[in-house]
Amino acid sequence: MAAASISLSHNSILTPPPIPKTKTFLGVLPNSIKFPVTTSRAAAAAITSSRAISVVPRATSVDSGSTSEAGSTFHGLCYVVGDNIDTDQIIPAEYLTLVPSKPDEYEKLGSYALIGLPANYTTRFIDLNEMKTKYKIVIAGENFGCGSSREHAPVALGASGVATVVAESYARIFFRNSVATGEIYPLESEGRLCDECNTGDVVTIEMDESRLINHTTGKEYKLKPIGDAGPVIQAGGIFAYARSTGMIPAQN
Amino acid sequence: MASSAISATPTPSFIANQKDLGRFGFSSTSQFSIHKCKKSAIPMKIMSVMTPQQSDRRPATTGSVKTALTLTEKILARASEKPQLSPGENVWVNVDILMTHDVCGPGSIGIFKKEFGENAKVWDREKLVIIPDHYIFTSDERANRNVDILRDFCTEQNIKYFYDIKDLSNFKVNPDYKGVCHIALAQEGHCRPGEVLLGTDSHTCTAGAFGQFATGIGNTDAGFVLGAGKLLLKVCSCSCSCSFFFFFFFLFCYSETGILSCRDPRVPPTLRFVMDGEMPDYLLAKDLILQIIGEISVSGATYKAMEFTGTTVESLTMEERMTLCNMVVEAGGKNGVVPADSTTFKYLEDKTSIGYEPVYSDAKASFLSEYRFDVSKLEPLVAKPHSPDNRALARECKDVKIDRVYIGSCTGGKTEDFLAAAKVFLASGKKVKVPTFLVPATQKVWMDVYALPVPGSGGKTCSQIFEEAGCDTPASPSCGACLGGPKDTYARMNEPMAKLWTNERWSMITYNTDSRLLKSYLPFFMINVVNDNYGYLICLLSILINSSDALALQVCVSTTNRNFPGRMGHREGQIYLASPYTAAASALTGYVTDPREFLQ
Repeated sequence: MAAASISLSHNSILTPPPIPKTKTFLGVLPNSIKFPVTTSRAAAAAITSSRAISVVPRATSVDSGSTSEAGSTFHGLCYVVGDNIDTDQIIPAEYLTLVPSKPDEYEKLGSYALIGLPANYTTRFIDLNEMKTKYKIVIAGENFGCGSSREHAPVALGASGVATVVAESYARIFFRNSVATGEIYPLESEGRLCDECNTGDVVTIEMDESRLINHTTGKEYKLKPIGDAGPVIQAGGIFAYARSTGMIPAQN
Repeated sequence: MASSAISATPTPSFIANQKDLGRFGFSSTSQFSIHKCKKSAIPMKIMSVMTPQQSDRRPATTGSVKTALTLTEKILARASEKPQLSPGENVWVNVDILMTHDVCGPGSIGIFKKEFGENAKVWDREKLVIIPDHYIFTSDERANRNVDILRDFCTEQNIKYFYDIKDLSNFKVNPDYKGVCHIALAQEGHCRPGEVLLGTDSHTCTAGAFGQFATGIGNTDAGFVLGAGKLLLKVCSCSCSCSFFFFFFFLFCYSETGILSCRDPRVPPTLRFVMDGEMPDYLLAKDLILQIIGEISVSGATYKAMEFTGTTVESLTMEERMTLCNMVVEAGGKNGVVPADSTTFKYLEDKTSIGYEPVYSDAKASFLSEYRFDVSKLEPLVAKPHSPDNRALARECKDVKIDRVYIGSCTGGKTEDFLAAAKVFLASGKKVKVPTFLVPATQKVWMDVYALPVPGSGGKTCSQIFEEAGCDTPASPSCGACLGGPKDTYARMNEPMAKLWTNERWSMITYNTDSRLLKSYLPFFMINVVNDNYGYLICLLSILINSSDALALQVCVSTTNRNFPGRMGHREGQIYLASPYTAAASALTGYVTDPREFLQ
C-alpha cells in the first residue's frame, strides 16, 4: 500500500512509528468509526514526492526553501518573546470568528499571529500589509500558549509561516493542539533561550541533533528531542499520520 | 452567600427512570450500593454484578483492587470499561458529553466532515451539546455566520441539545438560548458525577465541580470525538498515574508526560488541595482559587489533575465549587474535581433523569503533593495585571484607581455571584463611582437577577439593588467582554480612555486612537476630537490638569478568569481579577477595595 511505504521513507531519519502498537490499536478501533475511502491529501502529496503540500498548509509546507528534505532542519530569523505568552496574545479573541478549516480564513488567521503582544514588543511580528511573517522561528520562555484551548493559536502561527516554536515549556493544550494539527513543531529548550537570543538573530535548528545554532551570536544550544511527536507533525497532524501509518484506513 | 445552605437530606435521586438505567448497564445498582462506593474502590464493571458489601472494608482487603486510585483515575478507568488501569496501557475512553460552541464548533465540524466524510453522522446525537455563547450580540457578520453553521449542522444531524438563538434583538424571545456554555451545561443537567465531559473550551474544567472528569480539547480532537465518540487515553508508565492524551496521543508520551510525571515513577500527577476551616463571610470561592494559583503559579498544575477537598469545600454550594474548578486551567491543570456529595445530588435532583454513579479517591491513593489551607485565615485577594498568579491582598491595592467593574463570565457571572455583589451594594447603601457592567452568564441567571429576592433586603431583587446603586442595566447573557470579542461587544475594553470627573458623575469619551499615537501626535489627537466640542473641552481640561491622567489606560476590576494582555479587548488594559464581593466594593469606591469595608 502506498501510504505504508511512504511512511517508511518519511520516518527513515526520524523515530520509527510504533508498529506493534499500531496493530493493537487497530484491534481496539471502535467499529462505529467510519472513514470515507478517499485518498488523503497528505498521502497524495507524498506520492508525488512534493514537499510543497500547498492544499494543506502545515509547518512542513511553509518553509519550502530553507528546510531540508525531511524537515529536520529549520533555518531563518527568530522572533523572541517572554514567559506565559497566552493564546490571547498569539491570536486575540476578536479574530476567532475566522474558521481555521476554511482555507481563505486560515490565511487570514495567519496574518494576525502574535498581534496581541503588548506595546513593549516594538518589532512587529508581521510587517504592515503583509500576510506572512519573516520570522520562521519563535523563541519563548516558560508556559508558551497558556490560556484558552483555541486551536486557532497554533494554526495562526503555522499559517503565518512559523515552522517551529522553541520554548522553555508549553501549556498542555497548546502543545497537544500543535501536534494534532501538525502546524508547528513545539520544541523545548534545555535552558532559557529567550534571554540568550534577540529578535532578528539568524538561527538554525537541527532536529536530528536536537540543537539550535544562533549564527548571530555564534552560540549553540541543546534542545530536548521532539520524540514520537515528530513524525506526526511531519505527516501533517494526527489524522494524516494515522492514515499514513495504516492506523486508520487511508482515503482513496 | 445567599444560598449556601446545604441540604440535610442525604437521599439523592440518582436514577430517575429505569430505561436510562438499562442503557448504562448497571441495572443491579441500588442507592445502597452507590452509597457504598464512597468507601469502596471497586470499579463499576465488577460492582454491577456483585452483591453490596456489608462492611466498610478497605480497598486493599477486597482483593479486587491492586492499586489505590484517585477520583480522576477511577473515572477514566470506568470510562474505558477496564477494571483498572495498568501502567503503560492505551485505552479508549467513552465520552459521555462533547460540548462545543460558536467559536470552535465550526472548525471542529469542518475537521469532522473532512476526515469522516461529508455524509458522516455524529456518534450520538444526544451526547453532543452545542451552545452558542461567545459572540452572539454583535453585528460581526462572520460571528453571525458561525452560529448559522452550528444551526445547519444541528439540523442536518438532528442534534438534540442545541441551544439556539435566532433573534439577536431580544434574547428573551429565544427560549432555547442559554448563554455561557459551562454554566448552561450545569443548569441543563449535562454535568453528572463520574462521567467524562469534553469541550472545545479551556474552561470545560468547570464541570469537575460535579465530581466528573472534564477538560478542554482542540478542534482536531473534537473532530475525532464527533465521529468516534471515544478518545484514546494513555496510562502513564508511572505507577497508577494516568496521564492521558486524546486520540493518538499515546505517541507523545515521551514529550508530554515523560518529562513531568515520569521523573518519579511512583507518584501520580494529582495535586490535592485540602481546605479546612470556616469560610469567613467576606470570602468567596474566587478568593480560594486565586490563593491556590498564586501559590502554584500559572503553570504549577500543567499536565496534572487538581482535587479539592476539606471541610470548607464540602460547605461550598455547587456554583462556588464551579468557580473553584473553573480556574484550574489558569494553573495549567488538565482537570479539577470536587468529590460529589449531598450538595451535588440535591442540585441534580430536578436537572437530569440519567443515572450516574459517583466515584471517590481511595483513602490510600497517592497524590503528587498536598496543599493545606486554613481558610479562616485567608483575606480577600486579587490577581494583578497581567497574570492570574500575580496574587495580592485586595487591601494592598487600595491605591489603585479603577475605571470600570465587570461582573460576568463562566467564573463570576452566576446567580450567586450577582447575589454576592448585591449584598455589598445593599450593605453600603451607596452608589457606584465607576461604570459597573453586569453580564449574567445565562438566561436563567438573568431571570434570577430580576426575580430572586436578595436576603435581608426586604424583598428587593438584585436588579433593583443594582439600579439603585447606579450600575449599568444587566446585559444579554453571553461570554461578553470576558474575552474581548468583536469590537462591538458590550463592555469590551476598546481603547484607552480620557476621562473627567464632574461631581458625582463620570463622563468619558473614547478616542479611536492608540495610546502611543496619542502621546506622539498630540496635535493630531486634538484635531481628532474637535468634532466633539464637549469631548474637546473635557480632554483639554484633563490634559491641562494632568496630561498623564488624560492618557490613562483603563483599569478594570473583573470577576472573570484571565488578565493576560488584551484579554478583555485593548492590550494595554489593566485587569484585576477579583471575587464579586471585591468587585462590588471596588465599584463603590473607585479603587481596588477590600469588601470588608462594607461587609463588616
